[in-house]
Amino acid sequence: MEALIRPEFGLTFWTITCFVLLVFVLSKTAWKPLMQAVEERERSIKHDLHSAETARAAAEKLKGELAAQLAALKAEIQRRLEEARLTAEKETDLLIEEARRSAGVIVESARKEIEAQKTEAARELRNKVADLAVLAAERILLKQLDHRANTDLAARYLAELEKERPDLKLGTN
Amino acid sequence: MGLKEILEHHIVDHVWSRAVLGPLSVPFSKHLLMMVIASAILLVVFPLIIRSKSRVLAPFRAIIEIIVLFLRDEVVVPNLGHKGAAYMGYFSTLFFFILLLNLLGLVPFGATATGNLAVTAGLALTTFVLINFAGIKEQGLFKYLSHIVPKGVPGWLYPLLFPIELIGLVTKAFALCIRLFANMIAGHIVILAFISFIFIFGSLNVFVGFAVAPVSVGLVLFTLLLELFVAFLQAYVFVFLTAIFTGSAMHPH
Repeated sequence: MEALIRPEFGLTFWTITCFVLLVFVLSKTAWKPLMQAVEERERSIKHDLHSAETARAAAEKLKGELAAQLAALKAEIQRRLEEARLTAEKETDLLIEEARRSAGVIVESARKEIEAQKTEAARELRNKVADLAVLAAERILLKQLDHRANTDLAARYLAELEKERPDLKLGTN
Repeated sequence: MGLKEILEHHIVDHVWSRAVLGPLSVPFSKHLLMMVIASAILLVVFPLIIRSKSRVLAPFRAIIEIIVLFLRDEVVVPNLGHKGAAYMGYFSTLFFFILLLNLLGLVPFGATATGNLAVTAGLALTTFVLINFAGIKEQGLFKYLSHIVPKGVPGWLYPLLFPIELIGLVTKAFALCIRLFANMIAGHIVILAFISFIFIFGSLNVFVGFAVAPVSVGLVLFTLLLELFVAFLQAYVFVFLTAIFTGSAMHPH
């Protein structure tokens, strides 16, 4: 069994030769291109990451700007609406006031008209009544005209009148 | 044939021929072949996968990339700091080299080179060198040596602690070596033992042997899956501990 652990120093020499050679050759032919490729990729990944970060930041900024614009627009719309509402209200008030005033004017003129008409009608009525009364009285008087009685009556009236108004007395002065 | 021979046949390296290189007699063996195969995969297939733009290879590229990035972000940079990126080549190669050697041990006709003490010793030695190199490079030689002993220790303890810490430095690397080796051969030994059960019980009675076989095979399958997990785990552990040791050598506080 000692053959298992009896070192063959010639093989050690081979091993060292082989291995050292491998280290130098592989460092040039294998590991260098591999590491170059890896570093290239790492660099490009870093670059991509960086540009993605930049793009994201730009997008974020744009989004913020748009949001601000939107908010400003909303505020503007709100303001305009409020303004329009106020104007409309004012206009409505004005119109109502105007209507009320013109209605008042119309009512007033109508009342005046009615008053005038009423006065006119009353006057006409009175004239007509007076006419009618006079005519009727005339008829009655014509019918009841009795000379004697009337003469008496006239004498009595005259006496009464003379008594009341002595200045009008006939024949005594 | 006893269990000893079977174990040695399956786990110990097969040396086909030897060459003398100065004072060292270097073997050409199965474990060396495994290392060559792993190196060939790493040298040819990995650059191909990494450099190709084909969609078919994209998942493999992604797997390699995920592992390397995991090593960078979870293992190397937290321990070594930002200067650790310079050592990524070492850690990535270490991980995939150990992983491939571990996995080659699970392929039929393959052998586990990381189950050889000499191989893990080689890896631990390079790690030992890396730890000290990184420490000295980061702090300077004298500062590094003075920081080997932790801060806040009374002055009179220094002569005692300095050798202990020096030994500790070696022990760390040694522990790495033994840990990987033991973990990689343990699974193989267990699998061989389970398979041997069939024949041990079969020698009592043929029918008992047949009855035990399904149980043994089930257990072997389970152990194989465990080994697959351990192959990844030990590669990760080796790299992780290397990173911790290197980090503590670079930043002593």
